Amino acid sequence: MNRRIAIVGIGNTDFNSMTPDVSWKELMFEACQKAYIDAGVDPRKDVDSFITCAEDFYEGFSIFDEFVPDQIGATLRPCCTVCGDGIYGLGNAFMQIKTGQMDVVSVEAHSKISDLLTFGDVVLHAYDPLFEKPVSGPVERQNYVGSPSYPKEKPKPIVGSSNEKNRIHPYFLAGLEMQHYLKKTGTTEEQCAQVVVKNKKNAFNTPYADYEANISVEDVMNSEYLFKPVKRLDISPNVDGCIAFVLADEKTAKKLDVEPIWLKGFGWCSETPWLSTRKMNADYAKMASDMAYKMAGITNPKKEINIAEVDDRFSYKELQHLEALGLADSGKAGKLLEDGELDISGSLPTNTSGGSLGVGNCFEATGLQKSLEIVTQLRGHAGKKQLSDVDIGIAQSWRGIPSGSGAVAIFGR
Amino acid sequence: MTFLEKQTDPTSPMHWRGNMQADYLYLSGVAGDKFFKHLMKNDTFLATKCPECNKVFFPPRLYCEDCFCEIPEEKWFEVPSKGSIKLFTIATIDSYGKKLKEPKVIGLINIDQTDGSLLGVIKTDKPDEELQGVHVEAVLKPKDKREGTLKDILYFKKK
Repeated sequence: MNRRIAIVGIGNTDFNSMTPDVSWKELMFEACQKAYIDAGVDPRKDVDSFITCAEDFYEGFSIFDEFVPDQIGATLRPCCTVCGDGIYGLGNAFMQIKTGQMDVVSVEAHSKISDLLTFGDVVLHAYDPLFEKPVSGPVERQNYVGSPSYPKEKPKPIVGSSNEKNRIHPYFLAGLEMQHYLKKTGTTEEQCAQVVVKNKKNAFNTPYADYEANISVEDVMNSEYLFKPVKRLDISPNVDGCIAFVLADEKTAKKLDVEPIWLKGFGWCSETPWLSTRKMNADYAKMASDMAYKMAGITNPKKEINIAEVDDRFSYKELQHLEALGLADSGKAGKLLEDGELDISGSLPTNTSGGSLGVGNCFEATGLQKSLEIVTQLRGHAGKKQLSDVDIGIAQSWRGIPSGSGAVAIFGR
Repeated sequence: MTFLEKQTDPTSPMHWRGNMQADYLYLSGVAGDKFFKHLMKNDTFLATKCPECNKVFFPPRLYCEDCFCEIPEEKWFEVPSKGSIKLFTIATIDSYGKKLKEPKVIGLINIDQTDGSLLGVIKTDKPDEELQGVHVEAVLKPKDKREGTLKDILYFKKK
């Protein structure tokens, strides 16, 4: 089955620090409805398969995939959830269409993180419970006396309990990794601060962004250290929002009244989960991009890629990822930034959407937010920030603290 | 979408406040069991060495993540509960984003004679000092108080 696969519909909600006006299901309905209208398809008749991307603990549901068919038009249809970022969803949609079993597949990812009242503790739960998580502090423990496995007569001792109350915020790992990146490459904290300034400025031209701001490098440098060298403004703030894509095979795409944007390549990779042996060089991004470049037939990414949206959930991550993707030489991404090459007017416009620093951290929707910007630019619909001569773009996402996993997608006109 | 009027007060919408009672037992496993039982009786750590590539795992594992081979019994050995600080950070907020009473220095400590590292709290009088490369030792609970968890390591301090 050698058929090309296109993005034929995109839809997104506004992104906001909180969305008390709608439930998470209504948020999904809004983005999906927009994507189906954009593609000109009826989900009840024309979409053959539906993919959502979510993480049970962020959602607050067990077996999250059971909760999705109704609000995306998928009841009594093939539907599944990928436990990962939206770009993993795009890859799965691509493969489903390649089988010939499906012609049109939708992919959805969202964040309704404002519903989660214990965000820090849920992320701490992603550290190894025996060898890593305990460093954050005590675990609140229930008294299990009376539960079947803890007989009343002889309650088992509460292992690991202490009088301390505070657990350290899980983002401390970014402090360790940023220190590693700065020392290894000679990149400076000021250069990282400049990423924040650039992305928040870019976000002014992204209508759905929530954290656009006109700030200076000094403002970022003067924000307090939370996990030295990570400062408050180096961290992308959490937002709610939803994005949906519709993908179709070439034949179907050409029948729709929309300019197809081709999904030319994708890749994904996971490093060891053990912090004890992980190298912290974003090798997951390197391996994922190697796979995607090969598939897309890209041999010289620096020359062939016109626009990049890379994961910038911490400021240093943008520079680290550009180097891992081979778009900058090792340790040279900061220099590219200083020279203005990563600006909208530069040779490698990066995070023209504002990235996660400007739009907000939308968790599993991050990869789709990056892809949304690339597809919008390739369609020529990016408004004031529209680039001229843009043919190939790359979107890259990381699964966030404390993971060493990520995915890459390459789009072309 | 027919949401023409939007809510702006986050507390006014109807909602249900729920929580997941999600508590687990995480078994130490064969390798963890051996490691923690040793730590209860000794002031040293255990590590394992891959028979094919000689990578030394700390915390010890029963298999090599590079070669995907088993690590046999004879490849277990004792290492000192010491190491050098590979990376460190100073954490100032708790998991709810509130300021910690005292900032905590967290280090990734490369344990001596191994290729592995361990996250640990570092006690130091001068939190702002450069700690990279500094040699530290684990301060352990008194033997009669140890429980066989990572909490038996109280913190790391400069030697």
